[in-house]
Amino acid sequence: MLVGIPLEQSNSTIKPKECATEMSEYLVAVADARCKRSFSRVFNYFAPRLRSYALKQMGNEALAMELVQDTMSNVWQKAHLFNAEKGSPSTWIFTIARNIRFDMLRKLQNRKEDVCSDDLWPVLCEQTADLNEAPLDEQVTLEQIGYMFEALPVKQKAVIEAIYIDGKSQQEVANELSIPLGTVKSRTRLALQRLKGMLNDND
Amino acid sequence: MIKFHPSPQQITEFVVGSLTPAVSLLVSAHCDMCEQCQMRIESETESLAADMVLEIEESFDESAQFGDMLSQITQAPSSIESDARTSKETSSFKEKSVTIELDGRAFKLPRTLHRYIDKTGNWSSLVGKLWQAPVDLGNQGVANFIFMGSGGSVPEHTHRGTEYTLVIDGEFSDGLANYDTGDFIFMDGNKTHTPKSDTKEGCLVFSIVDQPLHFTSGLARLLNPFSHLFFR
Repeated sequence: MLVGIPLEQSNSTIKPKECATEMSEYLVAVADARCKRSFSRVFNYFAPRLRSYALKQMGNEALAMELVQDTMSNVWQKAHLFNAEKGSPSTWIFTIARNIRFDMLRKLQNRKEDVCSDDLWPVLCEQTADLNEAPLDEQVTLEQIGYMFEALPVKQKAVIEAIYIDGKSQQEVANELSIPLGTVKSRTRLALQRLKGMLNDND
Repeated sequence: MIKFHPSPQQITEFVVGSLTPAVSLLVSAHCDMCEQCQMRIESETESLAADMVLEIEESFDESAQFGDMLSQITQAPSSIESDARTSKETSSFKEKSVTIELDGRAFKLPRTLHRYIDKTGNWSSLVGKLWQAPVDLGNQGVANFIFMGSGGSVPEHTHRGTEYTLVIDGEFSDGLANYDTGDFIFMDGNKTHTPKSDTKEGCLVFSIVDQPLHFTSGLARLLNPFSHLFFR
């Protein structure tokens, strides 16, 4: 148990370096002994800081407080995952808050389970992997486009081939095939319509 | 050797959490493979955490603001036991799905992408030696694993939007540079390129595009009116 630190000590006078050592010891006491007094020191130091950070990021008091509560709850329940050798308490708590904010924002945008913070920053990664699989849309392949292309009427195919594959202009195609430019244009349009139709049927 | 990394700005936005989820996924997967960027992330995280600690209003009345939050929080038990149970249940799952397979070859994926193995659709042949398997990112859109067999090439294209590519296994070149396993590649509308793998083993990449590709030559130009169906 940690003793000898007066409760009334003002948080803002603690220097970052010594503070990191202190806070590490408190977190260890929380992990090992569920020490509420140690947790209250951590809480009193970090909660107001998290709140102003969150307020700046979210611009909303209620959301900011929700972020503080969720973050500090995680600190209390998962203190055993803190490892002083890997980083300072503030870095650990910052990453927890960042992850919660990331997931909160996605929820606000009505996004279902897609990319979650645990994938990106596995700081508290004891979560069950999500096995729900959304059905995938049918994919159209180049091969299928090839078949559809083959299915076009010969005259339309010649025009499409010259324009899209050989990269010729419509005027060049008209000259080569000795047909009016308007005919090239209408064949192109009809062919594309047809391909589109085939693609829709495919769905 | 990894030569292409996320930009300093992308690293910062990733650490802040403001990079889009899909791009974050690629940055994170790159870091799984790149020690140098892991260190960049670490030091960026430390410095942002230090900034956060400095952010406090001097005249802040704690008791009024936080009410009984502290006592509420400390009523909950430690999660150590439930965590142990959860990790036991999921460990067998984690062990078996760290690879994707194509043509009898198994490719080990970076940690970040493990959860997406089950969200990966079937491989389909695009053209020649080019294979594609779509990955469902929920509302974030679709990413693709693309495999370029030896000599396989993506038709020359440019981008209306942006394309992010991570090389998972192998090497390829695109007329602009040569890329190796772990490289993080960012392309936008200013660049036209023709990705191609010349090595015997071919090359597997993970790629995200936010707008359809625009093909600039050959048979692939036929795809342009429909390219939104391929690369969404």
